[in-house]
Amino acid sequence: MRSLPFLLVTLVSGGVAGTILGIVNLGVVEPYIDKAIQLETQNEIRAGENVNTDEMAGYRIWQKSGEIVGGIVYGISLSSLFGIVFAYSRNSLPGNNVKVKAILLASIMCFVLFIVPSLKYPSNPPAVGDPDTIYYRQGLFVAFLVISGASALGVTAFIKKINQTVSKKVAIACTIYGAIMIVSYLAMPPNPDKISISMNLVEAFRLGSATTIVMFWESLGATYGTLWNRFNPQNLKKVTAF
Amino acid sequence: MRMSYTRQLLIERPDIPKVAIGILAAMMLFGLFSVGFDQGQLFSLVEGKEAFDSNWLHEFVHDMRHAAGFPCH
Repeated sequence: MRSLPFLLVTLVSGGVAGTILGIVNLGVVEPYIDKAIQLETQNEIRAGENVNTDEMAGYRIWQKSGEIVGGIVYGISLSSLFGIVFAYSRNSLPGNNVKVKAILLASIMCFVLFIVPSLKYPSNPPAVGDPDTIYYRQGLFVAFLVISGASALGVTAFIKKINQTVSKKVAIACTIYGAIMIVSYLAMPPNPDKISISMNLVEAFRLGSATTIVMFWESLGATYGTLWNRFNPQNLKKVTAF
Repeated sequence: MRMSYTRQLLIERPDIPKVAIGILAAMMLFGLFSVGFDQGQLFSLVEGKEAFDSNWLHEFVHDMRHAAGFPCH
């Protein structure tokens, strides 16, 4: 495989998908974040805290300006992981169409690295979360993410070694992965922080953010497959047979 | 009469560039830490303890952090 086209395809696809994510988030997720911050500020004022509204407004401009840049960094970091997994797994993925393979892998990674962890530790808007528990919550989140990712990798390595039909291999993989994640779901402690704002707002935020992250993964897979076909990082060597 | 012919084939060499994999792994870790987990640690390398109060990077990626499902604060 040629390094430069491989890096180019991986990083550009992440940048493109991340930019789209940032732009879409400005329209889909930002209204919920704004509303949550308004509620948080109102609660602080009611509690007698001294809130500098000018400073808050400045913070919001800074935070919103980082949405697209944050999306690009997020996109490139996840496309880097995607590129590594794709490089090692593309010959094992079903079909001959690279674009379909990339979209399939992106869907699997979205499920393993976003949807499953979100079932245990769903996203929360501002105004939810005690700053004193942040490192504990980050630890729980990373632990569940690693369990999910490592289980998926381990199960994939296992089914490659057994001699079964493809459909049976898929069934075995899903069963083992599902069992591990159900046990982990039950064994891992819950998020320690109580939610004190409207659940309607929290659920709308979660639905909005989940929709845009799923969209991100699908656009990453589609862009990756398209760029792979265009720049062809495979190291194809021409040989002449007599 | 004896006939001969040649065929050209494209064969893929299966090697995966280790340096590129290393670069991607480093970018993944740095990017995910920046967007998902930093609480002032990165800027503290140049700014010192003040970075934990100002939290510029954290605030800059604040909205994306929430939207991507990371615990934020």
